[in-house]
Amino acid sequence: MALTKKKARWLMARKGFLDMLPLNLAVLPWGILCGSLAVQRDFSALEAILMPLIVFAGSAQLVAIELIANNASLATILFTTFIISSRHFLYGLALRDKLKVLPTKWRYSLGFLLTDELFALSSNNKSFVGQLRLVYAVVAGGSFYVFWLLWNVAGVIAGSYLPDLTHLGLDFAIAVTFIALVIPTIINLPILVTVIVAALLSVVFKLMQFELDLVAAALIAMYSGYLTDRFLHKKNDVNNTDNHKISPSVKDST
Amino acid sequence: MTLLTILLMAVITFTTRYLFIHPRLPVRLGAKMAKLLSFSAPAVLTAIWVPIIFIQQGQLSISLHNPYLIAATLAIVAAAKGKSIYLTMFVGLITFVLSQYILSL
Repeated sequence: MALTKKKARWLMARKGFLDMLPLNLAVLPWGILCGSLAVQRDFSALEAILMPLIVFAGSAQLVAIELIANNASLATILFTTFIISSRHFLYGLALRDKLKVLPTKWRYSLGFLLTDELFALSSNNKSFVGQLRLVYAVVAGGSFYVFWLLWNVAGVIAGSYLPDLTHLGLDFAIAVTFIALVIPTIINLPILVTVIVAALLSVVFKLMQFELDLVAAALIAMYSGYLTDRFLHKKNDVNNTDNHKISPSVKDST
Repeated sequence: MTLLTILLMAVITFTTRYLFIHPRLPVRLGAKMAKLLSFSAPAVLTAIWVPIIFIQQGQLSISLHNPYLIAATLAIVAAAKGKSIYLTMFVGLITFVLSQYILSL
């Protein structure tokens, strides 16, 4: 009954698929919205399908479709895409030490597949370490790509029969998915502080119509979590030296 | 023209994802930076979902007439208690559809 290499890979691929499945299903309304909106805004089928195929983004696709339909300048469209997509710099940085050492093939694939959803499934210390976890990540991220494409194509096909879906509240499906991903990860005070600061600032910055609202709120929230963590560690160190009464000199220095 | 725009957009989204995992980029992360970045998932994901709940048509909406708020509250309770992603999504979506329907009566 030894676990062969092939079997182990199959099991990890399966786990990657199953872990991503709820997220793949949750983006159905959003994908159909993107696909149908493109058709309703007079994109050709090719253009509408190239969006999920090569741009592979959620809100950036949606915003760009409206901008292109309104004849915005190329510079505006590209700048907006850059701003919306800039949060991914943080994901790349966070995973840099793990991914930069990978062979080119894996690095380019995982770089392309590095969405919010894949990043959310990558918080484990050991993610991307070893071939089996790479199989897991590529299947999870790859299945998300395939499903995203599928939902978009469905939207493109149904597009001309569907009403305008932009005000139906389909974005709630995105919100509830991220609630399901974030809330269970709040396991200590620093993460709780991070979440509360991100929540408050993201709303304030958005109401101020600050262009870098998301990234600015996230950066300040991350720093707040980091400071909380340092503060707790310092307090712990002080308590430890007090309790153990190691030596007067150590105690005096605190 | 649209094709060119889409192509350039693809270059941008790929670059923002790939840039910092490129080995030849001269960036070194210390222990402090790594600790800071460990908070990026809760920070970014929260900054995405919270405005969806609280801001409707550019306005802050904190009231029982906001179906997003009602459904998100129950989804958060489900996520905190149940820890199952399917349960949370189910509770959230059902509540959202129901409260949207009731509020439209």
